[in-house]
Amino acid sequence: MKKTIGLPRMHKEAGERRDFLPEFVLKLVTQGHPVLIEHGLGSGIGLDDAAYTRLSPLVSVGDRPQAYQQDVVLVLRTPEVEEYEGLLRPGSILISMLHFNTRPRRIRKLQEMGVDAISLDSLTDDQGQRLVENTRAVGWNGLETAFAALEEDSPGRLAAGGPPIRVTVMGSGAVGKNAVEAATKYGSRGRAEAWGARGVPGVEVTTVGRTLTADPEYLRARFAQTEILVDATQRPDASRPLIPNAWLGWLPPHAIVCDLVVDPYVPSGTPPTVRSLEGIPRGDLDQWTFRPDDPKWLRTIPEGVPTEQRRTTVSCYSWPGIHPEECMRHYGRQLWTILQRLLSRGGVEGLSENSETFLDRVLYRASVRSWTPGDAENPPARL
Amino acid sequence: MGREAEERAPKGVGLSANVCYPLRMPGYSVGLPRLHKEAGERRDFLPPLIEFLDRVGAESIVVEEGYGSGMGVPLSEYLAASPRCRVGTLAECYAQQVVVALRCPDEALLRTLKPGTTLLSMLHFPTRPARVRLLAELGLHAVSLDSVKDDLGNRLVQNMASVGWNGIRASFGELAKTLRDFFEPRRRPIRVTVLGSGAVGGHAAHAAIRYGDPALRSRLTRQGVPGVEVTMIDYELTGDERYMLTRLEHTDLLVDATQRPDPSRVVIPNDWVAALPQHAVVLDLAVDPYALDGNPPSTKGIEGVPEGNLDRYVFGPQDPAYDALDPRVGHRHRRTALSCYSWPGVEPKPCMEVYGAQIEPVLRALVATGVERLDPDKGPFYERATARAELKYWRKNP
Repeated sequence: MKKTIGLPRMHKEAGERRDFLPEFVLKLVTQGHPVLIEHGLGSGIGLDDAAYTRLSPLVSVGDRPQAYQQDVVLVLRTPEVEEYEGLLRPGSILISMLHFNTRPRRIRKLQEMGVDAISLDSLTDDQGQRLVENTRAVGWNGLETAFAALEEDSPGRLAAGGPPIRVTVMGSGAVGKNAVEAATKYGSRGRAEAWGARGVPGVEVTTVGRTLTADPEYLRARFAQTEILVDATQRPDASRPLIPNAWLGWLPPHAIVCDLVVDPYVPSGTPPTVRSLEGIPRGDLDQWTFRPDDPKWLRTIPEGVPTEQRRTTVSCYSWPGIHPEECMRHYGRQLWTILQRLLSRGGVEGLSENSETFLDRVLYRASVRSWTPGDAENPPARL
Repeated sequence: MGREAEERAPKGVGLSANVCYPLRMPGYSVGLPRLHKEAGERRDFLPPLIEFLDRVGAESIVVEEGYGSGMGVPLSEYLAASPRCRVGTLAECYAQQVVVALRCPDEALLRTLKPGTTLLSMLHFPTRPARVRLLAELGLHAVSLDSVKDDLGNRLVQNMASVGWNGIRASFGELAKTLRDFFEPRRRPIRVTVLGSGAVGGHAAHAAIRYGDPALRSRLTRQGVPGVEVTMIDYELTGDERYMLTRLEHTDLLVDATQRPDPSRVVIPNDWVAALPQHAVVLDLAVDPYALDGNPPSTKGIEGVPEGNLDRYVFGPQDPAYDALDPRVGHRHRRTALSCYSWPGVEPKPCMEVYGAQIEPVLRALVATGVERLDPDKGPFYERATARAELKYWRKNP
């Protein structure tokens, strides 16, 4: 008996337009799996239900609860823990970005309910490299947006013959590396070609690490000549800002702040966590560009956080989502091989770190069965 | 054993060290010759690979006399890894059914391989058409490790991180000698300029922020010594002479991590090298050769940097290697330069730990399915990846 697949929509925010594409659904039905899509799947990118149903009689349309009642539920962003009881069926498989390492409640609830969850962000190879990720889109989409804001705010800055555009990237990990490459191309290869032909000045990207971001004297001089400031840091201590709000005042007035970290403010956390760049708003797929006089600037910032120093800021909780089709094509390609293996073996039963095949080990590491939620003293960890 | 059987293999049969494989292919033999490119080439696969080969059913494993000695690993450790492992001559290694050598053997050695032998090596099919022809003529099953890629085209056997890290670590070692106040808390941040923003450039920047050595970075940070500022530029700016001369004047370490569409054109002409401070260090991570009369011709991105290898990769300004360069290559302006054909080989043991772990699943795919039955489209993950790296597939789909 082939597993049935449910593809619910994501209801986090109106601007969330990502859904699995018909080309992905076609692969599933070609292998004989009945697929139930939630009504309206793909509507954010201009698709109607018929774009899916005409693929095969195995595709049907239902409502949200029906989509969550299938054997395997595939949705990029998970519902809230509070919704699990009402939506998920014990014995089913939920595949989603579940971030087990920071979400003990999620692990506990899924284990209690007997849901065989697979976390997309925990699908890693034997060397620990993530297999389903889009850090490239984080860097490129963020910089594409930052350069668009620069063009809009300061069109004269792009005139031929001017000095190089100066970008400072804080952090040199995976996101930082992509941000650097994207910055040298104005955030998009197409734009690099078009702007290059127009004679727009080239881009000088400077990357700095922890030692220098902690040095105010150095940063004052660096910020003074920075036109796009990119935060791609991974802080060891999230209870203190990396850049106090006052320091943002060292940036030229036309500078753009590009937030690729998008950590939230969690004032009720233990300890409370704050944003890396103090006093900047956190955007989402409904709005990711904020000008200093934006009435929504304070919407995501708790009271008492200084916000006096403002520069145009681009920030999006889900950078890959600003190009939904491209993003879902990418995830679909990355996920297909792994999903195929999961479906062919019928679930995650009997897997272990020592499983025979590469993909079985990958599935085991991402399964909620291989995680412990931890306790007050210990964070969640793999068994 | 076919792929269906592989997918249904019994529980408990796996890749990790604590699991035993059943004997899969009796009579299957593997040769592990040493790399004889240069004396400084110290890399050999490590004993865990022998254990692995034993587990996947190799009946006989022949390692060349002296195997592992460059890394201080005694032969006894290889022999202890499997009762089926023995020491043999170079010729004996090349006489086995499967030959595993990280770097491609030279033509004379290739010609000693029997038709039907499976050769696993970095064969670089796309840039070595003559080699592809020779391997085909010799009737070999050649699997190019640099062509083992997943369904999305990502290389599965690669060590680009160590290109960046090893080159940067060695360069900071030299800069610590040429920059007088390197260890002084009062000095300004060190300025690194990286040409190229691709994968190697990204690793180089990541490493440079840490001096290529996290322990050194921690020590200097504790002592209040300012850090490292890395500026990356791509071809939109590297052609701007006025900009570049100013940038070079303010550069302590210049790194070439470019991938040039036309390798016959330099990025930094030797005249521009004069703009670098006297204490500056030049690091060549692109390691393109000087082949001015080649087809196509090529030269180094930074003109005048000598060609290095694992025997010698640091060249002071007075080094005779500069004078030995082709007179058509400008080399009047010199700084301490570092260049190595194989940067990962500078740290051989960590390098081989990485490669060893990466080639296990490739070998396993070969053993489980047989090189002639690998399916690039329908097999399991590593079978597809390995099939795409096989000579026969490459010749049909270059």
